[in-house]
Amino acid sequence: MSALRMDGRQKRITDAGLTLWFALAILFLFAPLAISMVYSFNLGVVGKQTSNFTGWTLEWYPAAWNDLALRRSVQTSLYVAFWAALIALGMGASLGYALVRHPSPRVRNWLSGLTYILLIVPEVVIGVSLLLFYAVTGIPLGAATLIAGITPAAIAVTALIVRARALTLDPKLEEAAADLGSTRLKTLWFIVLPQLLPAILAGGLMSYAFCFDNLVVAAFLTTPTVNTLPVYLYGSLQYGPAPSVYAAATVVFLFTVTLLGLAALCFQLSRNSGRAGFGDG
Amino acid sequence: MAASPPIPATASLPGGGRAETKRAPSARVSDHLFAVIPTAWLAIFFLAPLGFTVVYSFGNSLFGAVELGFTLKNYQTALSGFYLSTFLRTVQFAITASALCLAVAFPVAYFIARKAGRFRTLALVLILIPYFSSFLIRVMSWQILLARGGVFEVILNFLHLHDGPLDLLDTKTAVFIGMVYAYLPIAIVPLFVVLDRIPGPLLEASRDLGASRLQTFWAVTLPMARPGIATAVLLTAVPMLGEMVIPKLLGGSRGVLMGQAISSQYLQSQNYALGSAMAVLVLVSVAIVVAALARLTKGFAEVSA
Repeated sequence: MSALRMDGRQKRITDAGLTLWFALAILFLFAPLAISMVYSFNLGVVGKQTSNFTGWTLEWYPAAWNDLALRRSVQTSLYVAFWAALIALGMGASLGYALVRHPSPRVRNWLSGLTYILLIVPEVVIGVSLLLFYAVTGIPLGAATLIAGITPAAIAVTALIVRARALTLDPKLEEAAADLGSTRLKTLWFIVLPQLLPAILAGGLMSYAFCFDNLVVAAFLTTPTVNTLPVYLYGSLQYGPAPSVYAAATVVFLFTVTLLGLAALCFQLSRNSGRAGFGDG
Repeated sequence: MAASPPIPATASLPGGGRAETKRAPSARVSDHLFAVIPTAWLAIFFLAPLGFTVVYSFGNSLFGAVELGFTLKNYQTALSGFYLSTFLRTVQFAITASALCLAVAFPVAYFIARKAGRFRTLALVLILIPYFSSFLIRVMSWQILLARGGVFEVILNFLHLHDGPLDLLDTKTAVFIGMVYAYLPIAIVPLFVVLDRIPGPLLEASRDLGASRLQTFWAVTLPMARPGIATAVLLTAVPMLGEMVIPKLLGGSRGVLMGQAISSQYLQSQNYALGSAMAVLVLVSVAIVVAALARLTKGFAEVSA
């Protein structure tokens, strides 16, 4: 009897502790985000960001918009992230499907190893390797070299999302289509693609967010004309950043969250339309 | 004009008779294309560059250029003096920060998987949202938070955990806070996935058989969470080995880590050979981490979230 009561008390204490821990973790994760938003309204001192809040102002939002270098860096980031995400979407979808449906188990294993390697090589190593690779092969640095350079990790992320979805597909459906006279191409287009599409789009959007924020690889492959937003911010640290970069980052964040909301919606739709849910099986 | 339907001979067989030899040839072509196209792309823009780095790490360094050859000189330099201490410090930082990250993440993942109930999706979304704002801006915001007279100092003073001004910026502690902060979400997700999959009845059975809460946790929950722990370590410790932004912004000039050391070999000293050797050393330590984790998850199908 008393043991049971002890146990109940223990459980309550554990639960309260876990809840508190979770709340603190959320606070910890959101504090810098909140600070970056609040400080986009900070007056600052002579146009520089300060760690003491010196007063409220709205001037940094129009200032960010009117800062040509900042605006161009956002445009470059949008352009680079768009094309990189598009490539990652195509390549990742293809790789993700092959991870599940390639007829040879050895090839599947090999592809799976490749996918994980993409995720575990530190960015700085990829960055210097690409710089070296482009220098040795004489490929001039530009937007295209940067786009190609940031795709591998995005391809891996998309492939894993598509793979999770492809695992839930029923192979009998494809066989049935073939038995009924559909060519492989038609089967892929009418049977497989519609089922994978939400996962592919979600992967593409994730890739977009990752590529937009890529700093380390971009820092190595940047040129005076191809300067992404994170690289621009990184460079501005030397002189002390203006609060306008916080304003730009806030706007970009709200834009990204909206995109992710759309991705979540896509996913929800796929879950409702498919028989099986999203899972690793 | 492939109008004639390629009806396979196995058409009448039930699902099991999907022998690949009986498939239409076009199926095999497309299957191979799906594997070959991304592999070719990655071979050019990922594997080839890494290969160049490995080759160059054995070359002779001239200023701004490398004479190809086979010498271990770069590795000798990279494993002595300043570079060795940087390497060791980086490994130590990555291990410590990864362990701290896991310690913070585990209760959070446990809470979401077992206690959050119908709010679990919301809880997961909350964990992931900050991850999608600019990483650099968030680290810069930590500079504001940790600065003298900043929010952190005010809170600690208010709680009487610390008195007077706090000089955290440009210290090891600040780097650890930044590292745990940056990698917390990607440690929580794989832990959540494994904890979520442990069947509730299993834990009840352990309790029914007389194990205490703590015993159940040690004997059932923790061993079953091993693949998630391995993935979390992999996804945190490995990028930490190459982390170059957090140490620079929060650690100041003291305690340079491997990421900065490698990048300065390329961007400032123009010693590509030495930089390559240091990059290869990072890759080797990554391989050691992976091998160690593979042992930890022996018996589980795969190390994945």
